[in-house]
Amino acid sequence: MTRKYWKGLEELKETPEFLKSKEQEFPSQMSVEEFLSDENLIETSTARRDFLKFLGFSVAAATVAACEAPVTKVIPYVNKPEDVTPGMPTWYASTYYDGQSYASILVKTREGRPIYIKGNKDFGIVNGGTNAQIIASVLGLYDSARLQGPTYNGSETTWKQLDSAVMSGLKSAKKMTIVTNTIISPSMKAAVDQLALAIGATPENGKLNHIQYDAVSYAGMRLANKENFGAEIIPSYDFAKAKTIVSVGADFLTSWLMPTAFATQYGTRRNPDGDWMSKHFQFESIMSVTGSNADYRGMIKPSEQANVLSYILKAFNVSTGVSTTLSADAAKVADAAVKALKASKGESIVVAGSNNKSVQMLANKLNNVLGAYGVTINLNEKVNLFKSEDAKMNAFVKDVIGGKASDAVLFLGVNPVYTLSNGKAFGEALKQVKLSVSFSSHADETAVNCKYISPDHHALESWADYNPTTSHFAVAQPTIRPLFDTKSALETMLVWAGKANRSGKDSKVAHEFIRTTWETSPALVSAPGIADKTNFWNLAVHNSCITAPQAPDATPLVFTDAKIGSVPSASGLEVVLYQKAGIGIGAQANNPWLQELPDPMTKVTWDNYITMNPSEMEKGGYVTTYDQEHGLNLATVTVGGASVTLPVYPLPGQAPGTVGIALGYGRGENGEAIGKAAFQTKEYGGHAASEDGKLIPIGANVFRFVQNENGTMAYEVSGSIKKTEGTYSIAATQIHHTVMGRHSIVRETTLDTYTNKDKEAYNPAHMLQKLDKDGNHVERPVSEFDLWDAHPVEKIGHRWGMTIDLSSCIGCGSCLIACQSENNVPVVGKDEVRRGREMHWLRIDRYFASEEEAAVGTRKDAETFSYDEAENAALNPKVVHMPMLCHHCNHAPCETVCPVAATTHSNEGLNQMAYNRCIGTRYCANNCPYKVRRFNWFNYPSYKKFTEVNPAQDDLGRMVLNPDVTVRTRGVMEKCSFCVQRIQAGKLVAKKESRPVMDGDFASACVDACPTNAITVGDWNDLKSMVRSSADDKRSYQALEEVGVRPNIWYKVKVRNEKNDVLDALQVAEGHHAAKGHGNNKKHH
Amino acid sequence: MFRNLRNWCYGTLALVFVAGSFTSQAQGEALFKAKCASCHQPHKNGTGPKLFQARKKWADGGAKDGSIYQWVNNWQVAAASDPYAQTVSTWSPTAMSAFPELKKEEIDAILDWVDAQPEPGAAAADGTAPADGAAPTDAAAEEEEGLGWIWIILGVIFFTIILAVGGVRRQLNIASADANGEDVKEGMTYGEEFKTWAWKNRLYVGLGSLVIVISVIVTLFLSLYRIGVVEDYQPSQPIAFPHAIHTGVNGIDCKYCHSSVTKSKSAGIPSVNVCMNCHKQVNGRTPAQQEQIAKIYDAAGWDPSGAGKYIGKVKPIVWNKVHVLPDHVYFNHSQHVVVGGVDCKQCHGDMTKQVEAVKVQPVSELNKIEGNIPLTKPTMTMGWCIECHAAKEISTGALDSKKSGYYDEIHRRLLQNKKAKALYGQYLEDGIVSVSELGGWECAKCHY
Repeated sequence: MTRKYWKGLEELKETPEFLKSKEQEFPSQMSVEEFLSDENLIETSTARRDFLKFLGFSVAAATVAACEAPVTKVIPYVNKPEDVTPGMPTWYASTYYDGQSYASILVKTREGRPIYIKGNKDFGIVNGGTNAQIIASVLGLYDSARLQGPTYNGSETTWKQLDSAVMSGLKSAKKMTIVTNTIISPSMKAAVDQLALAIGATPENGKLNHIQYDAVSYAGMRLANKENFGAEIIPSYDFAKAKTIVSVGADFLTSWLMPTAFATQYGTRRNPDGDWMSKHFQFESIMSVTGSNADYRGMIKPSEQANVLSYILKAFNVSTGVSTTLSADAAKVADAAVKALKASKGESIVVAGSNNKSVQMLANKLNNVLGAYGVTINLNEKVNLFKSEDAKMNAFVKDVIGGKASDAVLFLGVNPVYTLSNGKAFGEALKQVKLSVSFSSHADETAVNCKYISPDHHALESWADYNPTTSHFAVAQPTIRPLFDTKSALETMLVWAGKANRSGKDSKVAHEFIRTTWETSPALVSAPGIADKTNFWNLAVHNSCITAPQAPDATPLVFTDAKIGSVPSASGLEVVLYQKAGIGIGAQANNPWLQELPDPMTKVTWDNYITMNPSEMEKGGYVTTYDQEHGLNLATVTVGGASVTLPVYPLPGQAPGTVGIALGYGRGENGEAIGKAAFQTKEYGGHAASEDGKLIPIGANVFRFVQNENGTMAYEVSGSIKKTEGTYSIAATQIHHTVMGRHSIVRETTLDTYTNKDKEAYNPAHMLQKLDKDGNHVERPVSEFDLWDAHPVEKIGHRWGMTIDLSSCIGCGSCLIACQSENNVPVVGKDEVRRGREMHWLRIDRYFASEEEAAVGTRKDAETFSYDEAENAALNPKVVHMPMLCHHCNHAPCETVCPVAATTHSNEGLNQMAYNRCIGTRYCANNCPYKVRRFNWFNYPSYKKFTEVNPAQDDLGRMVLNPDVTVRTRGVMEKCSFCVQRIQAGKLVAKKESRPVMDGDFASACVDACPTNAITVGDWNDLKSMVRSSADDKRSYQALEEVGVRPNIWYKVKVRNEKNDVLDALQVAEGHHAAKGHGNNKKHH
Repeated sequence: MFRNLRNWCYGTLALVFVAGSFTSQAQGEALFKAKCASCHQPHKNGTGPKLFQARKKWADGGAKDGSIYQWVNNWQVAAASDPYAQTVSTWSPTAMSAFPELKKEEIDAILDWVDAQPEPGAAAADGTAPADGAAPTDAAAEEEEGLGWIWIILGVIFFTIILAVGGVRRQLNIASADANGEDVKEGMTYGEEFKTWAWKNRLYVGLGSLVIVISVIVTLFLSLYRIGVVEDYQPSQPIAFPHAIHTGVNGIDCKYCHSSVTKSKSAGIPSVNVCMNCHKQVNGRTPAQQEQIAKIYDAAGWDPSGAGKYIGKVKPIVWNKVHVLPDHVYFNHSQHVVVGGVDCKQCHGDMTKQVEAVKVQPVSELNKIEGNIPLTKPTMTMGWCIECHAAKEISTGALDSKKSGYYDEIHRRLLQNKKAKALYGQYLEDGIVSVSELGGWECAKCHY
């Protein structure tokens, strides 16, 4: 018996297409029919004579051009700002909040341009955690689709006209409504109050209706807490203190509540070498990132969430009146959860993802029974995010549609036309409102239906303050002068309230107002612990935040039992609406980095789709395999009156009877100018357009499916699915870059084996046979075999190395975006990804693992494989996320085959790539065992095919490029450089300070971004360095060690805190064999 | 030549006077340039007053003993205790920076050196002269180009003459043959005739052609190697900036204006506010100088007449970049200046003599700089870089002689095992550890 790792069903089943494509590093061919059927082909044809003419001309032109060096201009500052040194980065501490994600960040600027964002690991409540969306948000600053000034009915206007029109409109309005996302800014709240004061609104006369509305609501949670604690609060959760984590449908690592904070907390307890390791149980319907990291995962339908909680409560002798019926498999996991919860009573956490009050009340009840309140859940430190007032919003929407709306409506940070299920009708009705203003930075779905757009600054251009949790206060500071004629929304509010005057781009209104608010805020000035009452503002700006401990609640919140109302029930197909790590709620749908970020689970780019369990798909007659030529079947999902048609994607681990569809797609349904990258493109460039000439959005908007259940929004709904005609090509990175069946890449074990067995059991050294001097076969470790003389990098100067802990890696994809941002990695668009030509230097391989009952040496193939026969593990497989990047092998196979020595080894252990030498033979990529080399098939920064997707193609988008890294041109190879520009910079700092290089002098972009600190880099030759001790650890192994390439990257065995008899037996057997000297050669296929 | 001679004479005179304190004078000069030259000149009031015989002036003015030293360390302290210092503190426009780190001997050394400086006069006039002629021209290049055309025209004329003479000779031959009654080979073209001739002298023609073909190929290759070589590149500049006056005559340290050279990869072109530190006062003596300096005022929005205020709109100065590296090359000034201890002039030439717009100094000029390693490849080519990296030492002798914590550690590591130790031995065979031996030739040191 062996454990088999597979990236996709194609690999598991070994379809003929897969077997063919795995032989090719670059599946570049298009089928002949597909090529010939292209109508554009005729336009692109070039006659042979023309070709020769072009050739002759370009040779001559190149020669002439090369002779004449162009004159380069250099323009120094007139008055150089003190803190700017040309050529050196300046960092600013700031804060990110977009209504969904919150994080303390550091912004890197070069010559005044923000070019890179990373988490602030020194200050703030999220401990340096960020996510892909936050890191990618820097690109949004340079979005040329942003509004460059105020508009009135779609045409440009001036601020003066807009201000006077809006002010008179507000004055004459009998009733006004402000719809915002959850405001956690004390100053913005104060500004709204000022505006209310100015128009004479009081709570009594109700002249001003302020609605906080979030695209994804947590109202159910607040209402549940009102029942149980008497206040509509959300307490703060600490996953670092929880020995047992039970999550029922909450994807707390990428989308639920405060994933930036939770991922870092979670990461600290996934290290098996720590004091203790948490045990994580996940019950969910879709295979979420969080679920993929769980030690135990139970598949349940959304309607069974209450049952799971009730089932566990019953085991603690608490009856709830809610059904405890569960499927046998889910019950097995729940039993294990009960056991763990009993063992770690008081040190556990239970979270539920549902927005249903009753489900949340069940979770509260369980947390209370387990004694979590006051230990892992802090009721004093309340989370101020997500105060969505679903009922109020629904009433308002109804009023607008019914024509009974307010005279004036302001929208700040929200896009309800897109995010409401009845958004279309709302948008139409909005046009009838007398005065409507949107603060949107784009003419988005809501803004185009408003009379005025008063564009807000980009977050990196403006001052802001935040109060995310009770005692934590943070500042966001501008890192660049506003690019366009936009105005801070805070300033605009104050101007309309008559409290401030406009004063151009360098306006200090927002800054002064925030500062005054802080310096007069009792919560801050009179907080115990703020020693320096006058200077704390400067400290806060410097650190980006300050903690001002508040007095605990006068009457402590105590859990009181309350009657649990009706729990969600479902009929037919259950549809789960979830958020993807990259796209989220779609606020950054125009960000090509995020669109091209392979989804952590499906590895699909540029699309949303219907996820379904492959076993169900086979029953329903859907194809479960696909490749670049064969698409997936389409299906129509109908919920209520709305329906969408999307491809059906086979996702192992999806609960049978459910499907999942990601929110955040289908932005710009009517071709709103929200940015080039938000729309579908044609195969040879240009936007695809529908018959009536409108741009076609990417994916479909499933906010239309959101149901209003008992006053809260429900994201788990009932519907139906129907297979429709046709197939749809999907661009996934999943089936590319196969590892040729060499399964020694991933190693995992259970905590039990890890703590009780020796290294040979779970991490055996790789042995090869050789003849000793007596002619006997002996087994020796791979390190003793050598084809080449070793490069002289050991023990001499530096040897840059990296370790990646597979136990901590959650597969979120932040590192990939950070790498793209740091290294100017081009975006290539859906069509190119489909051809396997994505350019990411770092990818995260997602392996599914299942136990096979097959004998060693035999493999299941397409003829004999069936999901019906496969055991449950294949329906609900284990997952391993494995970041894969250039291993900087000391015996690099790529270096030996380069005919022009374009890729060579440095004496610091780096595999260097000299782009100017490269002639593009691609031999190196062919010879790379890790398949991490990328070839520039096109000139991405200028070729017309990439105009819509590649930000480097417009003058503004180019501003985000890192000036320390070359932009590669067509025809050269590229790959991870270990951020060599940062190595050089780090060494230089040490040299200038006359000291050895230390930990922290150098961190690659992926290290910056990792929320769980799974990656360690440093100088392996420095015996005291973190990377050295990590690499020497007993959990460390090297992927494909048997190939003998001596990489500079070590992985650390994934340890699951689970009971897994199959794996244990396997590893005991292996350890036993290894001890006897037989080695683990059965891993060879 | 005459000027140098005179300088030399002055120098000798000065030497005679202050023979005893020569070393302290050298120290004084260095300190003056590093600390004082940005505001003070020996013989001319600038941002700060002239320093020539300052001690005498203070003593004559009735200053307390030693108060001048106190002044330099912290003028506010001096002004508080000494009435004379109080009067000095009224000097406008700016207050002096404090130099608490300067010891009395060092201040004396500075002032000794200042006092030993010759009176201005002819020397200063000389210094201004180049400014007039500083407008850079591509005259030399134009001349060269003009000569090229002359050669081509001459060649064409020469070729025509040969053809004409040949024709005449041929006609004469035919005529004479005709006259002698010989058989005239009618219808034989030039080509055929050439062929016959070439066949007759095939050995020489063959050798000759070989020489021509080889030389053409060699020339082609040599000229291909010159593509992209920017040696001698001297673009015109919006302001005729004479380095010779600033760093030569006035002795301002390079790092005063190019201040980021020790911090950043780029040395930086000074921002206009740096120019204005001095040029608020210094507005030029000749009309030519005034015209150039007026451009700075224009850029800074400074009103030199009347009150002397910043009034206008600022306009950045658009310079033409002289040392242009391609995008795929990473070069860091601070690495070379701070860590490598390379002096600016080693790559940029002696700027104290650069009276015209800056140009890329040809390697032949750089080789004349004292202490420079003679290089052969043209300046600003990769060959030039790696030639220097191969020859230039990180340290003479073992790495720990460099007195740097960084290289000490590398030294220790190199001694750790046999293999590395042997390698270290190889490095030290020539007595130095060169840049290339520690990886200075590796691609990813400059290309990423």
